[in-house]
Amino acid sequence: MRFFRSCCTAAAAVLMVSPAVLVAQNARPETRHPTNAAPKPTGTTPRAADGHPDLTGVWNGKGDSLTGVPNQLENSGVLVDDEYSAHDIATGTKIAAFPRPAGSTFGTVATAGAEGERAASLLRLVGSNRPIYKPEYWDEVRRLDDNANEEDPSNRCMPAGIPRAGIPQSITQLPDRFIFIYPGQGGLIATQTMYRMIPADGRQHTPLQKLDGSFTGEGIAHWDGDTLVVDSWGFNTNTWFDQVGGYFHSEDMHTIERFHREGNTLTWTVTVDDPGVLLQPWTSTPRVAVLNRDPHAMLAEGLPCSERDLGLTVTKEHH
Amino acid sequence: MSTKTRTLRISAIALASMFLCWSVAARAQGTTDPTIQLKVLRGAAAALGQIRMSDIGMTNPPLPLLDVVTTMEISGKGSVYIDGKPVNATYTAAFAYIPPAMRVEIKGEGAGNTVHTIQTVREEYAWNESERGAGLVPGKGMATPAMASAKSRLLQLWILPYGVVKAAIAAGDKATISTAQGSTVITFPLSGALAGVTVTATLDAKNFITRVVTKPDNAAATDLVYEAEYSDYADHGEILTDVKSPGHIVEKLSGKPLLDVKTTKVDADNPYLVFPVPPNVKAACAQAGSSR
Repeated sequence: MRFFRSCCTAAAAVLMVSPAVLVAQNARPETRHPTNAAPKPTGTTPRAADGHPDLTGVWNGKGDSLTGVPNQLENSGVLVDDEYSAHDIATGTKIAAFPRPAGSTFGTVATAGAEGERAASLLRLVGSNRPIYKPEYWDEVRRLDDNANEEDPSNRCMPAGIPRAGIPQSITQLPDRFIFIYPGQGGLIATQTMYRMIPADGRQHTPLQKLDGSFTGEGIAHWDGDTLVVDSWGFNTNTWFDQVGGYFHSEDMHTIERFHREGNTLTWTVTVDDPGVLLQPWTSTPRVAVLNRDPHAMLAEGLPCSERDLGLTVTKEHH
Repeated sequence: MSTKTRTLRISAIALASMFLCWSVAARAQGTTDPTIQLKVLRGAAAALGQIRMSDIGMTNPPLPLLDVVTTMEISGKGSVYIDGKPVNATYTAAFAYIPPAMRVEIKGEGAGNTVHTIQTVREEYAWNESERGAGLVPGKGMATPAMASAKSRLLQLWILPYGVVKAAIAAGDKATISTAQGSTVITFPLSGALAGVTVTATLDAKNFITRVVTKPDNAAATDLVYEAEYSDYADHGEILTDVKSPGHIVEKLSGKPLLDVKTTKVDADNPYLVFPVPPNVKAACAQAGSSR
């Protein structure tokens, strides 16, 4: 009698508890929110005497600017929302994410395992924001990217050029000009130190046919509201216009960079127009730099470039 | 035995039976438990080499593993069935998931004819190309709208192993995990243009997707009834990526053979593959939309 009563009680309990267990299981484990999102701006935006934002400063406060290994994910245009979700910035398309194994770090492949191997190669181009070349150049872009270890101008110590250099680490703003400094990065992205002196005095461009092509082109700055616009042309063809991808260009490339300061952040985008090779102008995914928090920060010496011995290249794997 | 005891015994047996039935039914229907889903989908993604650590070059807190497959190209040789007839052909599928797009190029000979087709789809647009990128630059090739086949072509993208993982994850709690004949089975509905199509994918013991079947709610939509079988997974890339792709692909459409090819080359390094829609295809789509 007692046995049957116990059975009944147990069975009833199991039936009642089971849905509760399922409900508990259906609740996703607590989600953490690691992200590569740019920090939110803090502080006020200083103004120059003419009332425009003052962009002067050392813009390497994020701590992950290029020091040998590029921030592949940010350059790729992918934003991590949390440990279960990321998205393509250009389209908003969700990209699947999974929490990383406990204790694994990228820095040590031994703990990263297979999921850390060759990650950089794939992460370079996860995002969808790719320039659209004319069909006759599709194979050439792919060939350059496939053979980037040999073809990438940065592996031959060429200056990164504009717009590949991205956001300058140092900006000096004067009433009639800007001075941008891009320190050499050494390491895997082996580019030379580069500088630009950009007039902002209302002058017009030199006619393109009168310019000798250069790595930085002829840049001329003007203000569009609170956004600094740097309009450049007159480039040589010894550069790619993005960090990765084999994105070559012609001597007719025309770039428009936009710099917008908000507090301690500087957002940069570039639009590349090159009607000879591109089907349509391409605009980069915005990148954000953070002001060095030390108001007296000096720019460190650029790292020397060490040219690769391309004869020793035995793999096409990207790094 | 007293009446009371008998009643208790019957009650106990009834309750136990109910629990047993409930458990069996639950297993047969599959589970949407997120913990199990996560384990199975992560396992499938990891087997394909589809997820990687994402924080190289960063000093931020450790980031999650990300799905890194955006563009890929798979080439193979074998039989391609055109109008039901086998053609000995080379088959190249270039595809992208952001946005969803696919270009299938077939070159071959069969029944005394040379065959060369390029069938392309991007989201709701489908067209045939006389050459890659036809119709984008005036005077260079011809792009012929093929809107009626947009869904069917798009579905070919989502039944590829990488597409299955992506779409199953996107299905969220609508994806169910079950077991059939000892194999793990993932079942989920597609969404967007392919809403109303259910995908069932079977995994092998190594978590590779070996079989995919699609079933539309509308039985008349026979162009959405695919069966695909994948085997001999390996990294077939010239540039090694650790992304695994099937070495043998067999597809059927509405029960009839469509494709039986052995992989010859794979580029899984997110190669430069783009799918701009030719202006005349966009115009044709807009016109078709306005006349509906």
